[in-house]
Amino acid sequence: MNALTIKALGFAVILILATIYVVTSMDIDLTDQVNAITMGGAISIAVITAYVTTKYIGQMKTDTATGELMEDNWDGIGERTNELPSGWAYTFLAVFFWSMWYGLVGYPVDQYSQIGEYNEAVLQHKEKYEKKFENATPEVLTNMGKSLYFVQCAPCHGNTGDGLSGKAQDLTKRMSKAQILDVIKNGSNQLKYPMGMMPPGMASGQDAEDIAEYIAGGLKGEAPAAYASCTSCHGADSKGNNGMSPDLTGYDNILMTQTLQHGKKGIIGEMPSFKTMITPIQTKALTAYIQSIAQ
Amino acid sequence: MFFHWLEKNPFYFALMISVVISFAGLLEIVPNFAQAARPLATEKPKTVLELAGKNIYVKDNCIACHSQMIRPFKSETDRYGKYSLSGEYAYDRPFLWGSKRTGPDLHRVGNYRTTDWHENHMLDPQAMVPGSIMPAYKHMFTNVADIESAYAEAVTVKNAFFTPYGPEFKRTRVAWEAHRPKVLADAKKIADDMKDEGVKKAIANGEVPEIVAMIAYLNSLK
Repeated sequence: MNALTIKALGFAVILILATIYVVTSMDIDLTDQVNAITMGGAISIAVITAYVTTKYIGQMKTDTATGELMEDNWDGIGERTNELPSGWAYTFLAVFFWSMWYGLVGYPVDQYSQIGEYNEAVLQHKEKYEKKFENATPEVLTNMGKSLYFVQCAPCHGNTGDGLSGKAQDLTKRMSKAQILDVIKNGSNQLKYPMGMMPPGMASGQDAEDIAEYIAGGLKGEAPAAYASCTSCHGADSKGNNGMSPDLTGYDNILMTQTLQHGKKGIIGEMPSFKTMITPIQTKALTAYIQSIAQ
Repeated sequence: MFFHWLEKNPFYFALMISVVISFAGLLEIVPNFAQAARPLATEKPKTVLELAGKNIYVKDNCIACHSQMIRPFKSETDRYGKYSLSGEYAYDRPFLWGSKRTGPDLHRVGNYRTTDWHENHMLDPQAMVPGSIMPAYKHMFTNVADIESAYAEAVTVKNAFFTPYGPEFKRTRVAWEAHRPKVLADAKKIADDMKDEGVKKAIANGEVPEIVAMIAYLNSLK
């Protein structure tokens, strides 16, 4: 071991210590795999740099030219007939095979496209996603629904779901009295339930007031006599006859699905359709979340 | 031999290189570009009201904070909808891709926001989105949109770039006067979904407030 090697090793040790010092002072979590790999990379760069520098500086001091001098020369500058270094040759071969693989198999020039890669990634993700959340527990769904809600729903319905004082549907309640009166008066078929159009004017005057009061109050207590005309379609329990018509008691999965599919335009304003943005599993998650914030 | 001569004349050698590369570029890039930049079959040119809205979008510099370009990444398409295609911008003059996303992308905002939301949001963004740093655009409710210039723009792009506007788009005042009620009818349709009384009154008087043109434009972004 000559003096140069010792100097180089000292240099490498200083580099490594400096790296470790900087990393620890920056409070980087080394248990994180990516950070640990980066740290390992930094250390190996320091070691390789020290080794290569030592080797070649040492070689420059003692090395003499080998190989025959070629006859050809360029203005007196000659060239020796050395063998091609084996490292170069192997690297050349490796690059050759890699580029063949790249152009013909990995990213074929006539078949590869960025959009194609995107489509494949989305398809794969969808498959994985559907498998993972097929039988998700209610807590998982509620949490997923919550994060979805804050991206897609909160801009209109507000962070608490209260509809921002009447600017959108209040999701903590089913319907307000004014909304029910509007539907009774004008009918509705926006959610495209199998039962079809609810005809306008099913009740009027005091009857309509009573019905609206009863539904807006959460269907508690004695139902008014006029409510009988509602139960024929919405079911005796007001839960919508197993998906034939809207549930009047709360937000069930069918109501959520129909609303997200078709959108809705009521007296408050218009809600667009979200059918391209929200999948059935996400609908289930949103249902779970909205049921969890209902009063 | 020609190439011996070329190798001894660096200037002509460089010139020849650029000619060869340009020619290859011409063959490889131009046909592909011409194909992709063609308008999609479903793409329609903007109506006069929407064009007026686009001009307000430019004037109020919405592009400084909002992009109109959804990239093909899952994280973007989950939030904004399908990725953008170049054919969708074929009738945009100028295109409004933007490169800064202080606010969200707007290329498909018409799919997931509606007239009444925009009305509330332009008046007071923080009331809709807590913590939003978007300023309010109250002046849009009183300023009058320049629908006449928008009509002139439609006629100009029709004549200059063959944008497929109908035969009723002509360079005469008569043609504009004949088209004007259609613009006002479009505006009324938007205003019917709005709550602001001043806006409704202005349209009844034959004026289109900026907010109406703006909402028409935003709703057309699908």
